[in-house]
Amino acid sequence: MTPSPEERPEETDMELITRWKAGDSRAATRLVGRHSQALARFAASVGEREGIEELVQDTFVRAFASLDSFRGESTLRTWLFTIERRLMLDRRRAERRSRETVPVEESDHVSEYGALDSLIAEEAQERVRLSLEALSPTQREVFTLRVQQGLSYKEIAEVVGSTEGAARVHYHNAIRTVKEFLRDE
Amino acid sequence: MNNCTDTNIQEILPDLLHRTLSADARERVEAHLATCEECREEVEALRTVMSAATFAPTIDVDGVVRRIPPYQKITPMVELPARPRLVSWLVAAGLAITVAGVGSLLVTRENGTQAPAAVVITGPAGQNPTQPAPISSKTPEPATLPNTGVETIQPHAHALALAADVDGLSDGNLVQLMNEMNRFDALPATEPDPVISVDSGYNIEQDLR
Repeated sequence: MTPSPEERPEETDMELITRWKAGDSRAATRLVGRHSQALARFAASVGEREGIEELVQDTFVRAFASLDSFRGESTLRTWLFTIERRLMLDRRRAERRSRETVPVEESDHVSEYGALDSLIAEEAQERVRLSLEALSPTQREVFTLRVQQGLSYKEIAEVVGSTEGAARVHYHNAIRTVKEFLRDE
Repeated sequence: MNNCTDTNIQEILPDLLHRTLSADARERVEAHLATCEECREEVEALRTVMSAATFAPTIDVDGVVRRIPPYQKITPMVELPARPRLVSWLVAAGLAITVAGVGSLLVTRENGTQAPAAVVITGPAGQNPTQPAPISSKTPEPATLPNTGVETIQPHAHALALAADVDGLSDGNLVQLMNEMNRFDALPATEPDPVISVDSGYNIEQDLR
């Protein structure tokens, strides 16, 4: 008995993409279901305050509109993180422009931490929040992608537009800060 | 606490918690952890961070999928066949001839429709021939040169200004031509000022005589 599309185990992202291109909308549902929460967590982790659901929607809309340019050289999730991060940067840029403050450079970072103020309740979580607040925006992005999302340094470098070596350095500095913070608490 | 310098191990500790290490790498890391207190502390810190679930809204998957446009394959642009070289030259020549013809026609028509100024060059007694003559919007009349010995100026004389060769013009025509040129608005602003001032009392007709 052939399993239904929803029951197919462990279909790869590329297989689902191929199915979607062939007109199977259920493949899109599976892809979105597979990656949407990770995108939402990443946005929240790096300090996105509002409109996370809309941000995730926009990420998928943009990704599906340009799937032909995705060649599978990185994982789909890494590619989605890259798109999402770009959208977050655009948001920040638009917000700052509307406030007529200092223009955002390409190297600017996504987050102004503080979004987790009301998001993490327990004591251990509060300590983690404080330790992440102590990181620079780039360290926080790298650390979140490495620890919470499990991306490799190469993938992180792709997402944040940096080098693999720089990603390693940011991670080392970040874990050292987090350890000191958790030790002192 | 020792200060572990094995950065290779430290770099892959998150992979240990994500269970993405190969069997060999996992054994190597676990062996290291058995003897390294600092790395054990780091693993605990990582566990704490990973367990501190960050709040994120639940995404409406169906809502997202509804917004995704249907797939449209991007087709490469079709290249137009190369046009034969001879045809290109013929087209270019045709365009050049057309432009030249239309340009000549426009210049000719402009000269034919522009009303020539009715210039009256008066005699030398107490009259200033350098004063601009009134421009008539009516049908131009021939200019008169009473008692000057200068022949009557033809209404089309100003058109001679476009002619490259002015050797055949009489003195009277040259005088009129110069007066008309003084009134041309289209002369460039960088035109040098006339050497002879209007107020200087110099009368070119006297000189010509």
